[in-house]
Amino acid sequence: MQSKNTEKQDKFSQNEADRSETEEQNGFTHRYLEASTLTFTRSQVGTARLEICNEVCHLRVVVRRLMPLSHPEKYISIAADEETEIGILVNPSELKPESLIILNEELDKRYFTPRIQKIYRVKEQFGVHEWEVETERGRATFLVRGLNQNIKQTPPARLFITDVRGNRYDIPDYRELDAQSFHQIQRQRHL
Amino acid sequence: MSTADTQTGTLDTLPKSIEETLKTLEIQFEEIRFAVRSDVSSSGKYGEEWFVLTDVAIFTVTGTGDVLHYFPYESVLGIRAEIVVDAGILVLETQEGTVDLIRYSNSCAAKFGFVAKFIGDEIEYRNGKRDEAPIWDYKIEDHSCNTCGLSLADEFSPCPACTKKHRIMLRILSYMRPYRGKALLFVLLVIVGTLISLVPPYFSRILIDDILLLNDAAAPTPDGQTTWLGDIFRTIQPAAMALSIAIGALLATYLIREIFTILQSRLSAWLTLRIAANIRAHVYKHLHNLSIRFFDKRTTGTVISHITEDSERLQDFMLEGLSFLGTELFLLFGIGGMLFWMNWQLACFILIPIPIIIVGGGWFWRKVRSMWHRAWRRRSKLFDVVNDSVSGIRVVRAFGQQRSEVSRFGDANIDTRDHETRAEMIWATYYPPLMFAVQMGSLIVWYVGGLDVIGGGMTLGTLITFNAYLTMFYGPLRYISPLINWASRSMTAAERLFEVIDSQPEQVDDGNLKAMPNILGEVKFRNMTFGYDSHKPVLRDINLHVKPGEMIGLVGHSGAGKSTLIKGKSTLINLICRFYTPDSGKLEIDGEDIRQINLKDLRRQIGVVLQEPYLFSGTIAENISYAHPDATMEEIITAAKAANAHEFIIKFPDGYDTEVGERGGSLSGGERQRISIARAILHNPRILILDEATSSVDVETEKKIQQAIDRLVQNRTTFAIAHRLSTLRNADRLFVIEKGKGVECGSHEELMKKKGIYYKLVETQREAANVRAEAQIVER
Repeated sequence: MQSKNTEKQDKFSQNEADRSETEEQNGFTHRYLEASTLTFTRSQVGTARLEICNEVCHLRVVVRRLMPLSHPEKYISIAADEETEIGILVNPSELKPESLIILNEELDKRYFTPRIQKIYRVKEQFGVHEWEVETERGRATFLVRGLNQNIKQTPPARLFITDVRGNRYDIPDYRELDAQSFHQIQRQRHL
Repeated sequence: MSTADTQTGTLDTLPKSIEETLKTLEIQFEEIRFAVRSDVSSSGKYGEEWFVLTDVAIFTVTGTGDVLHYFPYESVLGIRAEIVVDAGILVLETQEGTVDLIRYSNSCAAKFGFVAKFIGDEIEYRNGKRDEAPIWDYKIEDHSCNTCGLSLADEFSPCPACTKKHRIMLRILSYMRPYRGKALLFVLLVIVGTLISLVPPYFSRILIDDILLLNDAAAPTPDGQTTWLGDIFRTIQPAAMALSIAIGALLATYLIREIFTILQSRLSAWLTLRIAANIRAHVYKHLHNLSIRFFDKRTTGTVISHITEDSERLQDFMLEGLSFLGTELFLLFGIGGMLFWMNWQLACFILIPIPIIIVGGGWFWRKVRSMWHRAWRRRSKLFDVVNDSVSGIRVVRAFGQQRSEVSRFGDANIDTRDHETRAEMIWATYYPPLMFAVQMGSLIVWYVGGLDVIGGGMTLGTLITFNAYLTMFYGPLRYISPLINWASRSMTAAERLFEVIDSQPEQVDDGNLKAMPNILGEVKFRNMTFGYDSHKPVLRDINLHVKPGEMIGLVGHSGAGKSTLIKGKSTLINLICRFYTPDSGKLEIDGEDIRQINLKDLRRQIGVVLQEPYLFSGTIAENISYAHPDATMEEIITAAKAANAHEFIIKFPDGYDTEVGERGGSLSGGERQRISIARAILHNPRILILDEATSSVDVETEKKIQQAIDRLVQNRTTFAIAHRLSTLRNADRLFVIEKGKGVECGSHEELMKKKGIYYKLVETQREAANVRAEAQIVER
């Protein structure tokens, strides 16, 4: 079976054209799943099921992003349980719309990290900073201790903020924040 | 089934309205045992959802009272708190399949972890796999201040709100107590030194008014303004004589002032360095009394920076900042008073630029600091790039990536350059205006004072003196803002140092603990459960009875969930060394609860050979005799011989005097291991812990190490951890841990016959070994 994922969008998909769906050489297997053969459904109790056309039906699948930061919408690893990978789905957007919705719901469950859209206020008291922010999951207030250790910057301008309870918040690109939000961070930590 | 006795407290209080809704359901229940609130709704938005446990079923309910799921106990097969990226899901295994029951953020992870453990135990209890009903004894592991409720980093941290900055200053000063006399002398020197600094401008007034101008038109003193000293100089004739005397006096003043400065600086260095060293010593000493938990909760880097960086920062400030701040402040008030005393009307004018200097200066220093900070961040990134590519220079060359490394450096370099340029330019642009504001003050004085001199209200000398004081007055003002900043940062450093000092030390012998100078080495685990966070047990219900002198091999599945199992095995060690104590159940040594044994006695009789042998900088002989510095050379040699270390040690040019260097860097892995074995042999412990002593060495060395270990374990109770099962062939019994529980125990033969988990492990490793052997043949 030849993969149809032949679009050349970036360096990771350049040699997709000559890649067979199942490779078995050098003693390891890796499989690229064909979006058109996959159907995600939900069981009565809400478990995500995956049916691979003419093959098998997995009762509960674990989905993971291979590149959650750089390509969150692509390269999805689908596994039968925590250990056993079934295969990799390169481009989920080719799934049937109903299946895509279920896949995205499952991804959303596994990747909680709220993205900060707006920063209302950062207030410092005794080295503990109280943040009040808007995320795509709703408004949140959290405490951060030691801004230097708990704000991690990844190039070019992504920030991960970890609060005292171990929750992580994501600012994908601080340069894209509105001026007021940016000012709130800038006041506390010099970017 | 009675459930009342298992309930010791509810966690969150279920709103009455939801409780009412639940009561209208077709499933009838008698009581709600507990309810736990989640902060994430099933849609993934922040919201309220409830997990409710009744006597018959499990419910999940939305904040508005709509039931999402309910499962009677009979249908539940298992439950677990699944950890996903930055959140968690409570997952239920039911007869109808797997259900994602409720989602929660990390804020709720601890309580839901506890819920999963509790329900898991409850199900086992109901299925008769467990004798006792689980107890709901959830403790919120959130550390907050007892007095004000502020959330704290961990149980070791003092509350920053309740430890005020000025109190920290007092605490620092309390270290001065042994040097009280010298400290008093220092304060005196500062006061006298400052007073002397006030003299020279005063002399210039006399010079002008009473000596230089006196010959000129015999100008009378306006308003009869003169001083007694001025009058004396007026009487001295000729004027040249008066001038020489005045200059001589000025010279003497300068000399005396410099002598005071020397004395003051020397004393300040003497005092502050002593205080800093004492604080450092106190912190370091305390560090060695702290429990291992303290170190496990922090990275080595943080702990080291406490002692090095923080104390250095504090010392720097005390050495330079403190005496600077002290003298400058004193000078500020001294001169201020002087100015008002000389001419209070004029002094009022000099106050005009002060708000500008303080506010503008504050703004300026903040701005500069922020810019410097940013530039500093870029610079440290630049160093990272250099460090990265120079340490990996072989890899860079091998992959031919010189060009990309150069461009990576180039980008960082330009980024650094731009930020530093910006910072320098900010400085260049805003510092002069600040100085200008200061100049304005003296211009005002020249103008207003000048008018006064013209009008005859004030002498020229007074005006010049006034201006001289003014310059001295504005000086400290300029630096007051960065100084306060500096002080505040040093106080933070001091705070962190005191945080270590204030941390609870490990429970030491309070006299009630049992002295056990001669341990036989019987170790008994009874229903012992332990986890670093009590809701996540790493070991569960461990039961094991080890006879004195017995060797127990700890075996765990390597592969699935490897890290937690290794954790399980090394946790056992942490418990035997009593770095931690069991959460429930008992750990006994020679029939005595480990908590009741004198720590010194216990640790003296426990020896450890770790996977990564840790050698201290010093000679080989010193390392072997680490636990017994008074060991004779003969004892050291015997230990080294037994450990098969003697043979390679004698080949070194410096023999036993060879410096091992930092962390034993100059020795090979096998050599380090044999030295650490020799150390353990010399230590002669009753209970020995071996952690995978043979790894990453060649076959020949492995044989030598194995032989050394065989000699070491004789007649000692030994716990050995190994990934390679062959290492454990000498073990009397093997204890197999899976998912935190002891699942099998017996000799190699017994367990092989049983064909259980151990058998499978051996088979897997044999296969792996075959593959490796084949691979080696192919390579050849």
